[in-house]
This record gives sequence, structure tokens and C-alpha cells, in this order.
Amino acid sequence: MTAALSVRGLTHAYGGVPVLRAIDVDVSAGEVVAVVGPSGAGKTTLFRCLTRLVRADAGALEVFGADLLQLEGRALRDARRDLGLVFQSYNLVRRLSALQNVLVGRLADVPTWRVVLRRFPAAEEALAASCLDQVGLLAYAHTRADRLSGGQQQRVAIARVLASRARVVLADEPVASLDPASATAVLSALRSLATDHGKAVLCSLHQVDLVAGFADRVVGLRDGRVVLDLPADRFDAATAHDLYSRTPERTAS
Amino acid sequence: MTDVQERSGVGLSPAPPRPARSLRARASRWLLALTGLAFFLVCLRLADVDPVELAEGLPTLAGWLVQAFPPSTEGLDLLLLRAAETVAIAVVGTAFAVALALPLCVLAARNTTPSGWVRVPVRLFLNGLRGVDSFVFALLFVAAVGLGPFAGVLGIALHTWGSMGKLFSESIESLPAGPLEAAELTGAGGLKTSSYTLLPDVLPSISGIGLYLLEFNIRASTVLGVVGAGGIGQELKNAVDLLAFPRLATILIVILIMVTLVDQLSGRLRKALA
Repeated sequence: MTAALSVRGLTHAYGGVPVLRAIDVDVSAGEVVAVVGPSGAGKTTLFRCLTRLVRADAGALEVFGADLLQLEGRALRDARRDLGLVFQSYNLVRRLSALQNVLVGRLADVPTWRVVLRRFPAAEEALAASCLDQVGLLAYAHTRADRLSGGQQQRVAIARVLASRARVVLADEPVASLDPASATAVLSALRSLATDHGKAVLCSLHQVDLVAGFADRVVGLRDGRVVLDLPADRFDAATAHDLYSRTPERTAS
Repeated sequence: MTDVQERSGVGLSPAPPRPARSLRARASRWLLALTGLAFFLVCLRLADVDPVELAEGLPTLAGWLVQAFPPSTEGLDLLLLRAAETVAIAVVGTAFAVALALPLCVLAARNTTPSGWVRVPVRLFLNGLRGVDSFVFALLFVAAVGLGPFAGVLGIALHTWGSMGKLFSESIESLPAGPLEAAELTGAGGLKTSSYTLLPDVLPSISGIGLYLLEFNIRASTVLGVVGAGGIGQELKNAVDLLAFPRLATILIVILIMVTLVDQLSGRLRKALA
């Protein structure tokens, strides 16, 4: 199976301090890969490098064969359209409705005057509505984002990614600030992006107990290195304990 | 048992002694205090502050105050017209400033400017406008476009353009970067992403700033007439020149009522927007 997202030897340092040391990760279409690891392992930096919000020092970052690290300007902008991002802080426009926030995913295909006047074509609105329906929030289409709960806001953000038609979804700690019930709803919405829509999903998680039933594969990060890469059903409590407590220099299996 | 102990029900332990300041730190504090005092004394001298003159002038002022009562109601309709003119100068001037400041604030804000080469000159330009008071601009425009409220409008508009552009761009800069980043990732252009994701969240604070500057400009417009730029200030100057104190009292009362009404109204509007 060819990878939708293929990371090779990704390396980055902040002011001479290495944060990522030659990271290799692959995610295929329809697959969910969870990234776990203690605080400071480099999870957040990895995600910032993957979207090129931060430019990695070295390595390759291929999205369907296009290396984002080699691209500039217009070509980079086009290649990044295949990336959808889900953030810990949801990043919705607070004073826009849920539906209008989902339409953010459609901005590239709508004429500028329509965007400025917030008059979207009916077809685009219908598409956004069906994306909201997928995450179970159609009833809240016209509710302002800042009136929604955290879990609901995160599901709107997932609908936004769905609307953008990005084929690779990166979720950086999407449930870190949510209660367990909301977290489960958000993760199942992310899971459905892979299962029902064939997206490649890479998702970092702080709580290892959420991995089971959500991810297909687990990548463990420690001190900027990939120290484990396992099918999710082989990621047991003992492995998790090892990753978080000792300093095992385990090689990827 | 002490009073504090009784009220709190907590046992008392002595606070640890404050660490002693070094001699150097104490000396520099004293030096700072003395420099501040010296600076103030120089300012007092430069400002010609003379309590004796104030004391000698007080009876004159008191005399005027007595003469001012009862305030004259003669020509009140003209005064009210001039008051309306004052409000009009401020409203039109502020509206012009909004139209001028909106495009520039986007160029002046760090997170929306196309480049630092645009941002810095725009900032300098706005700061320049802000540095010159409406009154000074009005003085120039009276010479350029003639006496009357239009000169006042131009003066208000130019100065407010600067303040507004700066305040607007600061409120754009205070917005969270996340929603914009999410939108940029879709590959859409800068105008689309920033207008769609920033405008809704920045609109309430921009309207608040607009109303605040409108209030400020109504107070500023009351004196524009002194340089011939229209409004109630013209009547104010005439009354002082003619020593017509009952009329002066009426003018001051009209100004006070007008400013209070506007402040109340705009305060309520701003509260509703927040």
C-alpha cells in the first residue's frame, strides 16, 4: 500500500537544541495512526513541521508524492490543500456560526466577493451542511461557535476538514482539553474520516487509554525519536508504561 | 489574643524579615527620586506658576461668576444650531476617518500586512497624523478651505485617521492566530482568509473604538470654533471676547448637556456591542 503521508528523516532544532531527530512515519489512506509520548517528546513540533507552519531543518515530507519541504509559493499552497488540520484549541471563528465555520474549508473554491459578503453558493452551503451532519451537529448549523461546548466545537473543526476535501488529516492533541465523553465523540468523528471517507489520519494523544478502539497503529515518540511503531492491538499497558517512565532505546518493530 | 487572630481563627506567626536592600540599590532609589523632584521644579518654573497671581485673579473670576447669573436665554436657537453643528462635525469627521483607517489598519497590523516594507511606512504615516491635534489641522484647513465647519471636519478626520488606524491595527493584532492559520491551509488567498476569519471577531472591538473616538471628537469639536472651524466654539469665543457672561454660562451648560448625553448614549451602545 502506498502511503498518503510519508515522513522520512524529519529533523528540526530550536536554537541549536534538537527537538526532532530523523523521524520516519507513514500513514496510508483509510488508516488512523496515533502519536503518543511524554511531554517534550516533540509531538507538537512534529505537527507544526508537518504543516510547514514551522520549516523543518532536514528530511522529506511527502503528501501523495509531493515533498512539501521542496516546494515554495504557489506549488506549496496547492500541495498543502491536501492537509487538513485539527487543533487542540479548535481554532474556530468565535462569532461565526457552525455552518459558516465549516465553509472556511471551502474558501479556496469560492469567488472572493462571495467570501467577503458571506454569500456562498447554495451548493457549497449544502456540502457544508452535510459535513456538519456527518459529525452529528446539523441541528447546530446556525449556532454561533462560541455558544458550543468544547467537544462540539472540535467536531465542527472536523467537519471543516471534511469540507476542505483534504486527504491527509493531522490532529494535534484534539481531545487534550475535553472531558471523557466529549473526547470519545471527537475521536469517533476522526475515526470515521478514515473509515468512511478514506482519509489518512495522524493524531497525537496525551491519554494512552484512548488509543484502543481508535487507532490502527501507534507511533511512540521520546526525546525527538520514534521509539516504537506498533499495530494498536499490540500497544498494551506495559508498553505504554515503558514509553512514559524509563528511557528505553527501543527500535521500531 | 489579637483582633486578627480572633476574626480569622488562625494562629499567628511572625512574617519573615524583609531582606535588606544593598547600599547601591538604596542610593539609586534616592537618586531617582531627587531627579524626579528636580525635573518637576524646573517644569513649575517654566510654566510660570504663580499662586499670588491666582489669588489676585480670584475676585475677578468670582465677579464674573456672579454676573453670569441668571444665564441668558437670548439667541438660544442659534446656540442649539451651533451645538448641532458641533455634533455634525464630529460625526462626519469620524465617519471619514473610519473609511480612511479601515484599509490602512490591515496594512499596519503585523498579522495581516503583506510585508514589513509596507507596515513600517504605514505605521509612521499613521503616527504622524496622530501626533498633530485636530485643532492644529483645523487651523491649517481654515486657511486652505475657508472659515466654517468643513475645515473642522477635515481637521477631525485627519487626526482621527491616525489614532483610529493605530487602534484598529492593534485590535487586529490581538486576535488569536489559529482560525486564520486553519483557513490559510485551505490554499485560499489572503483577502479571503483574513476578511472571513478576522473580520467577525474584530468587528465588535472596532465599533467600540469608533464610538469612543466619536465621543472624544465631540468634545474636541466644541473648541474648533475658536479658530473659525465651525460649531459652538465660535459662540464661546465671541461671548468671552465681549465679556457676555450670562451668554457664556448658557453656552457652557449647552456643551455640558450635549457631551453628557453623547457619552451616555455611546457608553450604552458600546456595552451592547461587547
